[in-house]
Amino acid sequence: MNEEKEVEVQPKPLVLQKLEEHHADALLSQDETRGTLVIVVRKEQAYAVLEYLKTDPELAYTFLVDVTAVDNSQMESELMQFDYARFMVVYQLYSYQGQCRLRVKVPVHENDLSIPSVAGLWRGANWLERETYDMFGINFDGHPDLRRILMPDDFDGHPLRKDYPLRGRGERESFNFDKQNV
Amino acid sequence: MGLTNTDIQSAQGVEQTDGNIITTTIDKVINWGRKNSLWPMPFGTACCAIEMMATLASKFDLSRFGSEAIRFSPRQSDLLIVSGRISIKMMPVLKRIYDQMPDPKWVISMGACASCGGVFDTYTLIQGVDQFIPVDVYIPGCPPRPEDLIDAVLQVQEKIASGASPKGVEHLLET
Repeated sequence: MNEEKEVEVQPKPLVLQKLEEHHADALLSQDETRGTLVIVVRKEQAYAVLEYLKTDPELAYTFLVDVTAVDNSQMESELMQFDYARFMVVYQLYSYQGQCRLRVKVPVHENDLSIPSVAGLWRGANWLERETYDMFGINFDGHPDLRRILMPDDFDGHPLRKDYPLRGRGERESFNFDKQNV
Repeated sequence: MGLTNTDIQSAQGVEQTDGNIITTTIDKVINWGRKNSLWPMPFGTACCAIEMMATLASKFDLSRFGSEAIRFSPRQSDLLIVSGRISIKMMPVLKRIYDQMPDPKWVISMGACASCGGVFDTYTLIQGVDQFIPVDVYIPGCPPRPEDLIDAVLQVQEKIASGASPKGVEHLLET
């Protein structure tokens, strides 16, 4: 029973190998959550990394599954990790070729809410980024049509931010039907 | 003429004397006609609408009560069935549709969400459409069964037959 159990060495995923080779300075952290590789990328290099992930013939993350954001303003442990960046923009990617998923997270500070739009890389990002703008107020630079998608155009605020009250600020009671253009 | 004795007896305020003579008032006859041919305008936004569809389909068959002529144009209908959640973005649309319906018109608020917001006590959901449009009959349930919707239609019918005004014009008659 004293046999030493051999530790199985997992080969490093190809995507990490290649990112460390080409974009080492962009990577802030790498982790695995429930079988999905999660990398955190510096905002300045986020577009370059995402473009690389999509266009590299060996990686080919051609499917952008989701773009969303997380407001960590009430999660001290998360905030501390990435220089107190309030928001984390999350890109969920899938590669049909490699049949694997990748989650790319980009910390965004509250005093500079802009981040390059990836609508030019994946056309599907158009509405996903509009939703993220609507719910969190992240500004996607270079987006072709950045306006609200879920809330009414004249809505004030970004309701998925943690400081937005759950029951709203009276929007659901106050209506001026004469002004509404339906 | 196709009027059976049962029809005549079921109509309030209508009396049959001997032979083929019936006496009544014009209001009673009009109300009797209205109540038996309610044309609903469905405003289905959620799971309640599925129950509403079941109510209209063959198994529950709302046409037994004269309300099978669903109109998808508010101009041609006199019974608005609000079945489902109404968001703050949808409320102006619902209000516009209600305004487009010709008088007299009745409103059924079907299910918990339409009546009081249901479990969705959030920034985006109207906590009861009766804040903005007058509601005649509320149906509890989440979602209510088709029998509940049939019951509500019958309650609207009773209201019409009794000569009561729709909720929407009550305030006009008070003064």
